[in-house]
Amino acid sequence: MKIWRKTGILVIALLAFGAARMPFEAALQRELRAAGLFPRKLEIGTWDHVDQTRAAVALGGLRTLVATFLNLRAFTFFTEKRWDKVARTFDAIVDLAPRTRYYWETGSWHQAYNAASYYLNDSKLPPLRRREAWRASILRGREFLERGIRNNPDDWSLYANLGFLLSDSNKFPAFRDTNESFYAAAEAYRKSTETGRALDYVRRSRLYSLARVEGREAEALALARSLYAEGVRNHTPTLLALLLVLEAHENPSIDVAARAIALFGSAEKAYDALSGHWQRTRERFPVFGLAAGLESLEKTLAVPPEKSVFKQPLPAPLDPDDMFRN
Amino acid sequence: MSTPTSKPTQGSHWSRILTISLHTFTQLVRMKVFYFLAIFAVIAIGSNFFELPQHVGPESVGASVLRSIKSWSLGAMTLFSVVLSIVATALLLPKDVEDRTLYTILAKPVPRFDYLAGKLLGVLMLVFVSLALMDLLMIAVLQIRTSMVAVEQEAMARAMGWTQDAIDSLRAETVANGPNWSLQGAVFAVFLRASIMASLALLISTFSSSTLFTTIVSFLIYFIGHFQADARDAYLQGGQAGEGVLARIGTLLISLVLPDFQLFNVIDAVIEGQAMPLVALGKLALVGLYYALFFTIASWFVFSDKEF
Repeated sequence: MKIWRKTGILVIALLAFGAARMPFEAALQRELRAAGLFPRKLEIGTWDHVDQTRAAVALGGLRTLVATFLNLRAFTFFTEKRWDKVARTFDAIVDLAPRTRYYWETGSWHQAYNAASYYLNDSKLPPLRRREAWRASILRGREFLERGIRNNPDDWSLYANLGFLLSDSNKFPAFRDTNESFYAAAEAYRKSTETGRALDYVRRSRLYSLARVEGREAEALALARSLYAEGVRNHTPTLLALLLVLEAHENPSIDVAARAIALFGSAEKAYDALSGHWQRTRERFPVFGLAAGLESLEKTLAVPPEKSVFKQPLPAPLDPDDMFRN
Repeated sequence: MSTPTSKPTQGSHWSRILTISLHTFTQLVRMKVFYFLAIFAVIAIGSNFFELPQHVGPESVGASVLRSIKSWSLGAMTLFSVVLSIVATALLLPKDVEDRTLYTILAKPVPRFDYLAGKLLGVLMLVFVSLALMDLLMIAVLQIRTSMVAVEQEAMARAMGWTQDAIDSLRAETVANGPNWSLQGAVFAVFLRASIMASLALLISTFSSSTLFTTIVSFLIYFIGHFQADARDAYLQGGQAGEGVLARIGTLLISLVLPDFQLFNVIDAVIEGQAMPLVALGKLALVGLYYALFFTIASWFVFSDKEF
């Protein structure tokens, strides 16, 4: 057979073979994408952080391997405190491996905790710039986690981490509206629980956040009662204290001291736990009826005036103006 | 020398193909290709040491190292299998010509299709055995490390006062990141991709003038094949992005001519913890078989009346 005829037949066969497989491959691609098995297109910015060799490796279908290398590089940037580089490298990492929880959590942790702490203590910058950099880092950490959740809506841990960040007493002064961030934290914990895989503490954490949202006290009380009814594993001092103050909010005429003794088992235990709760001012827990209850318990226990919880200094609420004064 | 009219008289196609494939396998093994397993062992064991500081509770202990083992091991498997399938196939025909083995074989009543299929099968046997050995090593390392991580997490969880339910749930999550069937599916996907590359390299080697040409062109196709899905999407979207007629023809040609290697990138998702359904794996196997058969038949078509 002549070479041109043979080539012609081969080319036609190749095209016909391609045309025959194209619909099947397109359908399989859709199916794999729906199952979360097909890689999505990389963002253009990702290539800026991946050198030629790694780009070739990523093109060869080894994105997670490149992500592992970049994670090591990001760790070096972290030890060198090059926060912008850390953030940009993690943007590339999660683009390469969007379903790996660890990268979303670590990227957010570097921003919201490590970078934020660095700016909190970095005396080389003027206070105003430190404050803005601190706040921006926390917001970037939040945004990063929220992006992780959009990519992995069924991951309980990402929701729980977001809830933790939004209700962290060292972080919430960075958010403009604390009420909104506590509610967002409660919602994040709720969604985490709804995945069906969340650990026990997540449901309690939802209560701890919801109880701090002004106007949601009734909802928080219903949740506290339901958790309390589940048994002793949920009878943590925080949960019992919140149940008590929320009941006092619902019905201001209740005998707080008597109810506290019923909940905690004895006047001593109740006084210890409630004194602790009274002093957690930085966490902004509600204290409805608590002062009256503590006073009554002090009388019952004959607490000397100098040892009264009301005589102990209360930690001042965190105020960014104070944090960045020097 | 030309032997297109030789008619087989003895033995079946399968026995001839098997004989040639076993000979090819032995020939390749004698080239000491299995030495790379030592490098793989270093990679699989070395990936254990890339544990970076973690940030929260017991659930994060060792989470990165299990993924690191899978990612490094499957990455090395992909690299070795693709290099092995391309280079070994590219070497076969020129080596048989150089050693004059080809003339001896084709002078006998061996159909050229049997010769090519036997050669390809020999390469695939080598790739399969290599991947099986690497898989065993990865599973062993992963199994040991998963057990260690689970023990470490449990100790930390108990120290933090976690309930038994929570500890059990954590253990289940950790074990799911260890060796599982989806991971075996990913290794099979690596084999399928290497098989396509071997059959494609066989086709190229039937008309190429040198081993180097076959190797370079095969690697180029391998990399461009990872863009095939993008080209197909662009073509199927019917010019929505505003591309011109030439661009559409270009994307159509790439979609029709090149294999779609991105389909086999399911391994990334498996490393990230996604489960691979058996149906999806079956469909991938069909795609792999379809390509391998077509390229082998095309190789025979080119090779059938080739003069030596």
